[in-house]
Amino acid sequence: MTMGDESISPSGIDWTKTAAQGVTNFQTFGCNVFKASLPTPDRLTPDISFVRQVTTSGNLVAPDGVRLRYWAFEDPASGIKSPYPSPLMRVREGQIVHVTLLTAKHAHTIHHHGIEPTTMHDGVGHVSFEVANQFTYQWKASSPGTFFYHCHRNTPLHFEMGMFGGLIVDPPEGPGYLYSTPMQNAPYQRYQVERLWVCDDMDARWHNVLSNNHDAGMCGENVGLNRFEPKYFLINGVFPTKTMTDQRVAAKARVGETILIRLLNASYSILRVTFQVPVTCVSCDGHRLGKESWNAPIVFPAGTPIELTSAARLDFLITATQRGAINATIEYLHWITRRVQDNGRGVAKTQIVVS
Amino acid sequence: MERRDFLKIGAGATTVALAATAQQMITPTDTPLSSPAPTPMSLSGSSDLAQSLRLVIEPVEKEMIDGKIVYMVFYFHESGQPQPVLRYREGEPVSISVTNNDLVPHGFAITGIPQATVPEIPPGQTRQVPDFVAPVGGSYLYHDPYEPPLNRILGLHGAFIVDPALGTTVAGSATPFSRAMHTPQIAAVFDAFGRHPRFPGERWKAGDPARDKLWLFSQTDSAINARVAAGYRISGQALIDAFLPDHFHINGLSGFDTAVHDTTASVDRAAAQAIEPVGKQGQPTLLRVMNAGLCTHSAHIHGNHLFECTEADASGVPYCETNVYERDVWIMRPMDRKDMILPFERPPDVPVWPPREEPFPLKYVMHCHTEMSQTAGGGNYPQGLVTHWTMTSPIYAF
Repeated sequence: MTMGDESISPSGIDWTKTAAQGVTNFQTFGCNVFKASLPTPDRLTPDISFVRQVTTSGNLVAPDGVRLRYWAFEDPASGIKSPYPSPLMRVREGQIVHVTLLTAKHAHTIHHHGIEPTTMHDGVGHVSFEVANQFTYQWKASSPGTFFYHCHRNTPLHFEMGMFGGLIVDPPEGPGYLYSTPMQNAPYQRYQVERLWVCDDMDARWHNVLSNNHDAGMCGENVGLNRFEPKYFLINGVFPTKTMTDQRVAAKARVGETILIRLLNASYSILRVTFQVPVTCVSCDGHRLGKESWNAPIVFPAGTPIELTSAARLDFLITATQRGAINATIEYLHWITRRVQDNGRGVAKTQIVVS
Repeated sequence: MERRDFLKIGAGATTVALAATAQQMITPTDTPLSSPAPTPMSLSGSSDLAQSLRLVIEPVEKEMIDGKIVYMVFYFHESGQPQPVLRYREGEPVSISVTNNDLVPHGFAITGIPQATVPEIPPGQTRQVPDFVAPVGGSYLYHDPYEPPLNRILGLHGAFIVDPALGTTVAGSATPFSRAMHTPQIAAVFDAFGRHPRFPGERWKAGDPARDKLWLFSQTDSAINARVAAGYRISGQALIDAFLPDHFHINGLSGFDTAVHDTTASVDRAAAQAIEPVGKQGQPTLLRVMNAGLCTHSAHIHGNHLFECTEADASGVPYCETNVYERDVWIMRPMDRKDMILPFERPPDVPVWPPREEPFPLKYVMHCHTEMSQTAGGGNYPQGLVTHWTMTSPIYAF
């Protein structure tokens, strides 16, 4: 490092060791991406900080007895080992957020999906760098809404293996408020009951065979990462046998309350969700509908099939008008045939019980 | 991995003049979208009504990003360009002939323009597409309707683009859509650029190839293509059920080849430039996104949310949205066409703008999030349906 070298930043980052100013070629694009453990560029004092430690020792037992291996981001301070999905990050609009990734043995990244920071904080290796050991990502939460975070290295495998978790940006008032200011086109502000539904599907071959190599396929081997045949379907880590009752998914509300459902497709299926009551979509991919003059919230009549592809988010408001169960059905469709996965078995149902 | 780049005409097919270099050959958008051109209609026969645009169907062998050689079939412009972008102005008469130099029948159709259909062209024959007038401004997809969807999947598809006769909003902002199609919401979006506090900078510019990009998605199942080359035919639901794609494309290219890198070969640059949006903050860019394949893609963009401006109705005619969503993920079903605007706005979650330490340009990927599409030959992440866009500088000089 020499003083005055334009490739060295004030905090000592050598940009030539990243895709910012390193020579990018076919190798650094795919098989041999830049890896580094950098100081945080343009570092500010954070308003809120998270730590995410990679673990690869997760095991889930499916209802049919099959053990499914998975990877996760742990929050070391929580003491919870191998959480699935990875722990929620919840921040408020306007906060400077720091997320420190600790990678363990292999390189990984964190992409905060829907959050739009600079390239170095965006977590895509082939245009920036992959984290060799440790890095602190920085961004400022500008839009209240539903987001998520996931590893973006060998993404077909690492995302499928479970390296994802929810990310919610609340308005400054905090949970319970959708937005801090009412708008003519978007009058809804408050909710009393909330669920984030993280929908996932699993192919045992990926989880138990491909997972033996973090870099499976990256340097030219045909490992069949174009072939995905899920037989396991989950919401928030709960299999469909229990989604009607498990309170990680199902919910209880009282007449007159407003329920907010934040729906995230973390699967590789097309999700088709159907509510048996009218729902109002108030936010789409973390952007509030009605904030600008070119869009507005959408009311879906009861029974309307609503489709989301992988990584999309929609936020729905439901008003509990009478006692009884509000049912929701989520079907997981194949991305080519559009049939319900696993010969029609790719379905999860849940409910909000209103009393 | 060693890579060679070539595309050659199949055995016995020598009738097309192949003057262009290999990589130009697989550049569907080299003209008019990648380089400044006096008119964005250089591939139309527009100036001379008697002049018919000639397309020729030829089988080819094309190299995939992982080096695999795959049998495909393309429409060629008579200049030798495969999958050419056909571009006309609304109201202009369109005259196209199609010659089939393959050994099996083919056809020609444009979704949303039903009269522009030739159901079948026998091998060795030429057919005239019934003359028609370019309809409302927007993005259309031409393809081979014979034995659907087989021939489309083999490569017989391309973009048909219509520039509006009158595209400006009432307030005078240029748009790529005919004013008669405009909704108040679409007008509000195009009027916001350069005026709304969120979008300092320029309005969208018509006729500027840097601000008007085609992203034509497709997929290839190399095993099916190899069997078809050997005489096997499969179509309809049986093809959809059997389809296991192992290569995923934007404008026929994948992974590394979809954007310009330090080491991009000079012959590959024009095709990469045609895909990669490059500009300063405040230069909104149109993305004409189409899916000629059989997969439902989940297109995801980093850095900015996009404005979803149009889609096609049940008959394939594009219309402007009355609720313009800002999306970082948008669904692209088979044969979908959606015109999206990438605002090139300040990435909203950057704490200090412009960044002091991190250098420009900023680069943000766009990829399909149904991640099987990020592969080539069963691995090779991220050599699939991925590109990136590049912001070269902030709007204000410091």
